[in-house]
Amino acid sequence: MNRRSLLIATSLTLLLPMTLMAHGVSASDQATLDNGGLLSYIYVGAKHMLTGYDHLLFLAGVIFYLKGFRDIVRFITVFTLGHCITLIGATYLGIKADEHLIDAVIALSVLYKGFENLGGFENLGIKSPNLLYMVFIFGLIHGFGLSTRLQSFDMGMDQFLAKILCFNIGVELGQILALIPIVFLITQWQSKKSYQAFYKAANTYLIIAGVALFIYQMYGYFSIH
Amino acid sequence: MKIRTTALLLLGFILFCSHDMYLKLDTYFLQPHQASTIDLYNGTFEKSDNVIDRDRMIDASIVGNGKRTRMTDDQWTEKDSSITILHFTTGDPGTWVAGLSTRSRDFEMSAEDFNSYLEHDGVLDMLQYRKDNNTINDPANERYSKHVKAIYQVGDQTSDDWATELGYPIEFVPLSNPYEKHTGDQLQVKLLFGGQPLTNQLVYADYRPTAHGHSHGDEEHSHSHDHDDAHSHDEDEPHTHTSGQQLRTDDRGVVSVDLSADGIWYLRTIHLVHNTDEGLTHESNWATLTFEVTHDHSDDHAHHDHSEGGIPSYVYWIGSLLLVGALFFYFSKNQG
Repeated sequence: MNRRSLLIATSLTLLLPMTLMAHGVSASDQATLDNGGLLSYIYVGAKHMLTGYDHLLFLAGVIFYLKGFRDIVRFITVFTLGHCITLIGATYLGIKADEHLIDAVIALSVLYKGFENLGGFENLGIKSPNLLYMVFIFGLIHGFGLSTRLQSFDMGMDQFLAKILCFNIGVELGQILALIPIVFLITQWQSKKSYQAFYKAANTYLIIAGVALFIYQMYGYFSIH
Repeated sequence: MKIRTTALLLLGFILFCSHDMYLKLDTYFLQPHQASTIDLYNGTFEKSDNVIDRDRMIDASIVGNGKRTRMTDDQWTEKDSSITILHFTTGDPGTWVAGLSTRSRDFEMSAEDFNSYLEHDGVLDMLQYRKDNNTINDPANERYSKHVKAIYQVGDQTSDDWATELGYPIEFVPLSNPYEKHTGDQLQVKLLFGGQPLTNQLVYADYRPTAHGHSHGDEEHSHSHDHDDAHSHDEDEPHTHTSGQQLRTDDRGVVSVDLSADGIWYLRTIHLVHNTDEGLTHESNWATLTFEVTHDHSDDHAHHDHSEGGIPSYVYWIGSLLLVGALFFYFSKNQG
């Protein structure tokens, strides 16, 4: 890896969290939703996706596994389809889960992806499940988490479906914004000699982060029950 | 004639004892540089009975971004002859304070009316004093004035303006920013009288649920959108101003309010003392404070807000980068 590529990669890696930290989801989002009309739902949806590091870690894990832009578009489309179904459907029907439990399952999806990327199934002598199906299933789960989140806000009944759709649009915009640097970083690094070390490091981190997030959410769940 | 006099006295009593004063907003979360309104209620927290003439207002101010701005007469309008409305434009993000102080007025009451007012408005210390000192049958001529505040949040960024003392004869001043508190927390509020902490004073704290509200009391945690809260303000209930938490200021003049539910919270107190000025028997200073409390949307969730307490998001990200970096060098070394 030459110095220029390393500089770009390092800068992107450092800039990404700096961007994310500027967009925390707060209680005052309720005020934004109260005062900002449908556009505010797009904004809060995008903000939620950009600050929801569990969603981003899972996406990063998926991108690591893929080869070629076409592959990336195919898998991201399936993931998007999955989370749109549950985000729109569950919110419209008023179906929600305990926030800790759904986030714990999302944390497991991060762990799963890191484990699979590092050849965990092969090491155990088990055939990996079809990734396209798994990404769709995890898309449904992530969408349910987004729906549970959206339902924690007071949305009122006016333009209810439009508000859900706008929040969904925001989520997709946020996802695109987050994917650009992730895809760029990974694809630029793939041809470099140090990529294998980066690949192992990043996916080991996904496993650690998945376990940590899972424990954190379960602790939160048992603390209030 | 006697019936007419009694009716007038009764009407006077009802009007007087019902008139708590509040500064109220529909939502206490506003956007920067947004045209907004604050309602001035004179009645109960739920219903305003009459408007307030501008010449009764000694001070109407808004404090934010470190600056106090006096409201002018032309910023007020009236609605339905019952609500006085302040029109203003919000400023930069921060935690703002609005305040209003009124001129004093005198009001004569029979002993019976005065005792009833003391009971229903929760001025229990004076009622007890009258009982203990055989003055329960004395009529009263009370001088009263009202001094009210509201604290609201503009944008995402909090500021220290919430702690500003407006210099009113009596006023509530929180000891921490209400907008850094959430449902389930406790908020300490200091009561100042003449700028000094007022000790051993009865204070009532209550709330009105907001549309997205839910309680964090003993009941199961849920995000119910049900407005039919146990803490309702049923019109059929006996009229009282003393619902909610009955608190008493400690030796620092501080009360601790349990913010048990989402909603618009209000604190009220009436400081009533004897007054020996000619023609008077008592003098009261009324104070209220309103603000909004919400549950923490980022509480115990993977999406933390760096500005609202807890571990900031960037801590996770920096920690993650350090971890990935350490793993990268570990695998690079082993690879080589």
